Amino acid sequence: MIARTTTPRTTPLPRFLWVLAALLTLLCLSAGSALLKLGPFNTVINIGISVTKTLLVMLVFMHETEARALTRLTSALGFIWLSMLIALALLDVLTRVHVPAPW
Amino acid sequence: MSAISADIGRDPQRALIEEQYGDAAQQREAATLGMWVFLVTEILFFGVLFAAYTLCRVQYPQAFAEASRRTDMLLGTIETAVLLTSSCLIALAVRSIKMDQRRSATWLLIATALLGASFLTMHGFEYYDEYTEHLIPGVNYLQAGPFARQMELFFCLYYFITGFHSLHVMVGVTLILVLAVRVAAGAFGPQRYTTLELTALYWHLVDIVWIFVYPAIYLVGRSG
Repeated sequence: MIARTTTPRTTPLPRFLWVLAALLTLLCLSAGSALLKLGPFNTVINIGISVTKTLLVMLVFMHETEARALTRLTSALGFIWLSMLIALALLDVLTRVHVPAPW
Repeated sequence: MSAISADIGRDPQRALIEEQYGDAAQQREAATLGMWVFLVTEILFFGVLFAAYTLCRVQYPQAFAEASRRTDMLLGTIETAVLLTSSCLIALAVRSIKMDQRRSATWLLIATALLGASFLTMHGFEYYDEYTEHLIPGVNYLQAGPFARQMELFFCLYYFITGFHSLHVMVGVTLILVLAVRVAAGAFGPQRYTTLELTALYWHLVDIVWIFVYPAIYLVGRSG
């Protein structure tokens, strides 16, 4: 068996700094947008910004782009299961009809 | 003598690799996958609390907005910035050790731990303020008004989520400080950094959890 090279690959420094700047800008954006009266879009924007920040952290800081497919799939599964948990629980609460006791 | 033992005798790098792995890269990939399996259990651990939060918020939107307005948005924003920065610093520490820059890796790890400790300190101040404002259910909760009971639910979830998160930060800070000492002692290098990389993954996940805690706890009903 031929051993693969063990020289570690490194991410360029500017990429880390750009991602940090983007994360802090998104933080300011979420704080600022929360002060505007946007109705349900306040929540939508906040969730959107949180997902974007998570993707930046995972792809760059956690090196998900360099990970093997199995590792990427495993990490994605955590979030998929969580989405299913919340979606199914909400489905129950939002669609349940209150039936008063007949007596 | 087995082939592997003979290998170890010839190649000092081979001594760092467990016998079931072909090479260092394979060993590192297996460790990363194992760490992600653990992190998925962590995602689901916090996920249950987020699910409970979502259901309660859907049922009592006004009470959750009212309760969120009682939290300290400025401090919450600073705490988020601190954690995001610490995530970048630990990523830079891993990069430094891969480039055999042990000194800078040590300082970056110390800076990460200090940011984690400052996060905990700020959160302590928040808890203290909430105690003086009688906002801790079961301990010191004295609120009146139409939403008082439902606000109690928000604060229960708030203490569970932020309490468990702070516990994770505490564990992370301890691990990072131990690693800083080990890096300074020369225990890691370009061929041996998996422990550091896995700890960084854990720290990033702690950061990701907070990325979702921040809008859920601090930003609800701010425009009202």
